[in-house]
Amino acid sequence: MDAPSTAGAAPPIIVIRNVSRRYVRGVDDVHALENVSLSIPTGHFVAFMGPSGSGKSTLLNLVSGIDRPNQGDVMVAGAALNDLTEDDLAHWRARHVGLIFQFFNLIPVLTARDNVALPLLLTHLSKAERRERAETALRVVGLDERMDHYPRTLSGGEQQRVAIARAIVTDPDLIVADEPTGDLDARNAEAILGLLRQLKHDFGKTVIMVTHDPRALRFVDDAYHLDKGILLEGEDAERAAAAILMAAGGGAAAAGARLGR
Amino acid sequence: MKYLGFILANLGRNKLRSALTGGAIMLAVVLVCLLLTMPAGLNAILDHAASNTRISVHNKAGIVYAMPYAFTRKVRQVDGVAAAVSSTWFGGAFEEAGRVTFPNFAVEVEHIGAVYPDYPIAAEQLADFQRYRDGAIVGRQTMRKYGWRIGQRVTLRSTVWPVTLDFRIVGEIANDRAPHFWFNREYLDQALKAMGRPGLTIAGMIWVRAADPNRVNAIMREIDDMSRNSEAETACETEKSFLSNFFGSLQGFVTIILIVTALVALCIVFIAANTASMGVRERAGEIAVLKAIGFGRRVIFGTLLAEAAALSVVAGGTGVLVTIGLTKLLQTFATWNDTLGPLGSFIVTVPVLVDGIFLSVFVGMLAGVVPSYGAARKPVVESLHEVF
Repeated sequence: MDAPSTAGAAPPIIVIRNVSRRYVRGVDDVHALENVSLSIPTGHFVAFMGPSGSGKSTLLNLVSGIDRPNQGDVMVAGAALNDLTEDDLAHWRARHVGLIFQFFNLIPVLTARDNVALPLLLTHLSKAERRERAETALRVVGLDERMDHYPRTLSGGEQQRVAIARAIVTDPDLIVADEPTGDLDARNAEAILGLLRQLKHDFGKTVIMVTHDPRALRFVDDAYHLDKGILLEGEDAERAAAAILMAAGGGAAAAGARLGR
Repeated sequence: MKYLGFILANLGRNKLRSALTGGAIMLAVVLVCLLLTMPAGLNAILDHAASNTRISVHNKAGIVYAMPYAFTRKVRQVDGVAAAVSSTWFGGAFEEAGRVTFPNFAVEVEHIGAVYPDYPIAAEQLADFQRYRDGAIVGRQTMRKYGWRIGQRVTLRSTVWPVTLDFRIVGEIANDRAPHFWFNREYLDQALKAMGRPGLTIAGMIWVRAADPNRVNAIMREIDDMSRNSEAETACETEKSFLSNFFGSLQGFVTIILIVTALVALCIVFIAANTASMGVRERAGEIAVLKAIGFGRRVIFGTLLAEAAALSVVAGGTGVLVTIGLTKLLQTFATWNDTLGPLGSFIVTVPVLVDGIFLSVFVGMLAGVVPSYGAARKPVVESLHEVF
């Protein structure tokens, strides 16, 4: 089985060519990614999957402009991220990327509304405009009744919805989620995955997600499998997908078609 | 300003810690302001008490050495001198106190008013001072200390001259800080002559009032030139300089105060820096997320620094207000009770308040700059790796 192709799809929002990323951790030279190339069309919902240490989070960091490769090119939303400085990257992320984390990472002393409005502090919007946009984003994720609540008074699923609202409030081109269901129960995990898919369908957002969760395969357009820093292709990718589904207790048939595209 | 709500919310995240840190800074500012009021109070007293036209003339060898009394007349003839009065230490011990407890001087009653026109003494009391040979004008501080009143008679036994004199209080220097006791030099002169002595032929000091402040230096030069190569060469200085030198021993005390002040400030910098560091460390995850969602290094640095500075400025402002209240309270107590008199010297001047505010801003900035810079400069990927 080949890696997901983009033939006939929308123009790519992400183009990665021959990217490698190595770290020095203590005395070890860690090869987190090795010569990875891929392109992701605009408006797709994509999952990066693989075991711990496979390089999926590293790939996500490169795509979201949090990290830079040692080698290769990363083009996202028309910007060559390799050429940007740390400050330029921060500015670029604020405009083009919405980030969602596994542990929600909301600011505990701010209400849901203020948490969502936080990225808007980096814009020139007035206080009233920031408030209005934050409330709109919270309505999109179904939390219009909980705007004045602090994170500690919200459930895990609600906190992740607030985090999603924070990610979309700036109307970014790309939404990047790192294990967004990792700290949620099954019901909330499905709801969050559904919400991410809704963002893709309703707003045309490109959503990139790192996950271990086999349920994700039912929601995404494409899944990329990584192992030991290498992007798996063909039969290797199929075997990796099957292993995930087997571990999850079946559902291979349901997800097989998606993986096979 | 758009970050203000975010900064204040962060300050309120651990209210107890913010309150304790703010309290420490506030107390330090109170302490520093109170310490600084001492030198400031001394200067204020000097500025208040010392006239810019009054000159002290004393023996070049030191103030314990006298000058010929006749020199006073010569001084009065110097161009630009409006008035001059001799003042001779009597060293009188009030019999109930048993020792010298306030400064008392034999002065020329007809000249004292002209040399001290700025002293609040009623005109009729000055007239009585000239009318009664045994008259005395006493500072309010001493009047209060012994419960004296005008018209009362008091006896002073001199520790310098072989006489004990009986005085009639005819006037008061209506100034809370005035301890002086002035009496007629002719009274002492006649008492000495009555004992078969030559009388009071010396002047301990001569106080001169210049008609024009711009002529003060010229007058001082002329008087010193006039006495050059005589048996009692003089050294003139302005009243402020004289009083400042007289209180010279306090300068060492002032230096100690300033050193203690600096150490207190340094301690508070460490406390505030520790708090700021703890705050940054505890929020490492949040800071990493803020960076990830696009907060640049300058914004991170600025908001963290502003937090430390805001806490310090609020605490410093409160400290300044507490200092003002405290000093007013101390001054009130000092008025009620003479034994608390020195506490009344805590005079909070505007420069002291400015110093207090400046100190708090300085503490806030210094305490916040290192942890804020450390948090801001770290690349976002490193920050995320450290906490996730």
